Amino acid sequence: MRSRWATLSRWPVSLGIAALTAVAGLGLGSLGALLWQARGLHPAMLWQEPWLAAVLRFTLWQATLSTLLAVGLAVPVALALARRPHFPGRGLLLRAMELSLVLPTLIGLFGLVAVHGRRGWAAPLWEWLVGAESGYLYGLSGIVLAHVFYNLPLSARLMLQALETAPSAHWRLASQLGLTRSTLWRTLEWPRVKPLLPRLAALVFTLCFTSFAIVMTLGGGPRSSTLEVALYQALKFDHDLALAALLALTQLVICLSLWLLALSRGGAPSLVVGRVALPGGRWHRRDALGISRLTDAVWLTALAALLLPPLLAVVLAGLTGLPALPRSASLWPAALRSLIMALGAGVGALSLAVALLVGSRWLRARQHAWAALLMEGGGQLILVIPALVLGTGLFLLLRPTLGSGWQGYALVVLVNAFMALPFAMQVVRGALPGLSAPEARLADQFGIRGWARLRWLVWPRLRRPLALALAYAMTLSLGDFSVIALFGSPSAPTLPMLLYQQLGGYRWQGAAATALVLLVLVALVFVLLGWLTRHPPRYPWTRYAREERHARMS
Amino acid sequence: MKYAIPLALPLILVMAGPVQASERTLTVYTYDSFVSEWGPGPGIEAAFEERCGDCDLRFVALDGGVDILQRLRLEGEGTGADLVLGLDMNLMAEARALDLLAPHEVDTAPLALPIDWADDTFLPYDWGHFAFVYDSEQISEPPGSFRELLDAPDDLQLILQDPRTSVTGQGLLLWIKHVYGDEAPAVWAALNERVLTVTNSWSQAYFSLFMNGEAPMVLSYATSPAYHMAVEETDRYQAAEFEEGHYLQVETAAMMAHTEQPDLARDFLAFMLTPDFQRHIPLGNVMNPAIDLGDELPEVFDRLIQPQSLTFTPEEVRENRRAWIREWLNASVR
Repeated sequence: MRSRWATLSRWPVSLGIAALTAVAGLGLGSLGALLWQARGLHPAMLWQEPWLAAVLRFTLWQATLSTLLAVGLAVPVALALARRPHFPGRGLLLRAMELSLVLPTLIGLFGLVAVHGRRGWAAPLWEWLVGAESGYLYGLSGIVLAHVFYNLPLSARLMLQALETAPSAHWRLASQLGLTRSTLWRTLEWPRVKPLLPRLAALVFTLCFTSFAIVMTLGGGPRSSTLEVALYQALKFDHDLALAALLALTQLVICLSLWLLALSRGGAPSLVVGRVALPGGRWHRRDALGISRLTDAVWLTALAALLLPPLLAVVLAGLTGLPALPRSASLWPAALRSLIMALGAGVGALSLAVALLVGSRWLRARQHAWAALLMEGGGQLILVIPALVLGTGLFLLLRPTLGSGWQGYALVVLVNAFMALPFAMQVVRGALPGLSAPEARLADQFGIRGWARLRWLVWPRLRRPLALALAYAMTLSLGDFSVIALFGSPSAPTLPMLLYQQLGGYRWQGAAATALVLLVLVALVFVLLGWLTRHPPRYPWTRYAREERHARMS
Repeated sequence: MKYAIPLALPLILVMAGPVQASERTLTVYTYDSFVSEWGPGPGIEAAFEERCGDCDLRFVALDGGVDILQRLRLEGEGTGADLVLGLDMNLMAEARALDLLAPHEVDTAPLALPIDWADDTFLPYDWGHFAFVYDSEQISEPPGSFRELLDAPDDLQLILQDPRTSVTGQGLLLWIKHVYGDEAPAVWAALNERVLTVTNSWSQAYFSLFMNGEAPMVLSYATSPAYHMAVEETDRYQAAEFEEGHYLQVETAAMMAHTEQPDLARDFLAFMLTPDFQRHIPLGNVMNPAIDLGDELPEVFDRLIQPQSLTFTPEEVRENRRAWIREWLNASVR
């Protein structure tokens, strides 16, 4: 028995290695294909082109600023959300937070421009406040605004999830001791948020560093562009594979070193995981009274003001396009196709994430810290390789054998799974220890092992984080356009492809309706997965009892 | 596992779309808005398949003309294409240099282009001028020349596209270079005073910004107003005619030298210059047809501007594009 258990326990690391091989093979393979096709590499080009250095400086600057603001402001927002588990519209606000991440850039920009543009909804307010015409959407301020719009909700959502994993016993104790604001922050909240920060910051930084359309459109001119513009030109217009590979390598080195730094800082998440999914607010919180009512209201209103108007603009535009919907023959097949592909990519991302995390945990537990780091860092690889390079590289590698048609779609699903991997890892990671050390010992003593342990002890704790990770991965794939453009087929477009086709053909109304359908699908995925994995009360009466107690306390 | 096949089958069907078995298949690489549901592709496909009887016309849609060229470069002689449709004049020289294309052998007499056409490899199927489209509710008197545009009051702002990432942006680059030659950098510097922003793609500029009313003018095509007038039935958006002339875009098709269906490919190229093909162009692709359509040309096309055409030869563009882009970049970053 003992020896069988020992061999069984080697599984995690082999799973991890298999996943890592797949990720690294795909990512480095495509880059390698480019280098192999390129004739001669001249790294000196990087510093001989004066504009390139300027581009790099600007990219680093805007990404740093955006990250600081998005992640920094997410902390008070998440705390306020955790402190106020019941207020009208909370569920709606959470859904909206999930939407912003996956909005295709073109649509997101449409919404932002409709609200913050020179003729946007906010323009009269701005003129009244400042007295000048509102021009803040173009230039660094616009770039940062868009990046905060995209990334703050994600950051706050993940922090909220971390805060909610605090054991209910802690909250009970905090409530009984009547802990104050600052004590709560020191003892309960900060220890939950802190291990999350380095990775979250690295993820947001990577997203801001590589965001190409936002920086160009809102930057106001060629002064503000990203490395990817240079890469786009090199690859598409000049067919300069060497320069493209060089630029991709530069981006890879910068982003991956940042990731390694972040991963080595993060430390192991706390080993104690209590009963999950009991919102802290069920317990009376002394800090939920008084002035914090006002400050929380301010934070939550600010979040709503940032998030809701642009989404509303997209929805309103979509509603005007609704009458055209039934006539659009390709919309529903496209929606179905997108959903199936998203499901494939989501499940793929989730399996890879779990494999990598389990593997790296196994390694860390055996003091192979660097190997563990490498394994976890490997998961971020695809995010920092520009989609254009990935697509072209894969094309060079696979083209003669891999035809078009459904194989192309399968490839897109695979690539999307890898692209969603960092997000899935981010969500699953906090919840993965599953059992705390004492619980595991107890389970060992009772001989609860293998399947039973997984089903009855580990699964209930993992269910919700896994669902959230799946939802994020699925919706990312739903909104992805970057890779599908290289492999897709016209007669069978996905939703984002359809959207771009409609815009190319002046079909604004149809495009707006397609965008609305995309948004609704994303929201549905989150709602459905959340509902499927909700925590049903084991005995109906406990729920009432708990609510009653809660009512009495507050 | 026994459910795997029933589950996978509809999946594959959904993914692959309709598949038809046919005697002869002609695979055409083109760009995506050409073959979309409302583009000219479906109508053209039906008309051609009816004409040839037993053949199957298969469109493969790529992102744009540049992507068609890139795909040919990557695939080389092993390409799956029999024919490419969607390379504009500025890509012709580079496509020709690949040595993958064959002469079209089609009589070019029906062509009705604003310029003479003598190329034996590339056959035009539509054309249009680059132009600044303006919102007549914001501008009552549009500029009539580059000079007037540069001297216009401060509230006349422009949305441009980047010549490194978009075809229209590259069109403006060539346009200004053609009009101003060595003075182009100074003109770019002056023009930058008017620029609200430079986007990466035409869709971004037109849809996200211009249609939201962010600026009264956007770089687009002289034919863009035709869509607004014919389909949306509004005269609000019009193109400004510049007295210096407008840079011309001609979109062409060419057949591959290694195709297994050379006769069918030539049939298609000849078919391209017939009304059965061309009637789908004006409102489907929102461009001017390459032949005289007579009464079949939608009435709104008579109300479009008819500017003088400016062109560089494809070879000139190929040799100078990089230098000109650098020139633009230096003038704009300053």
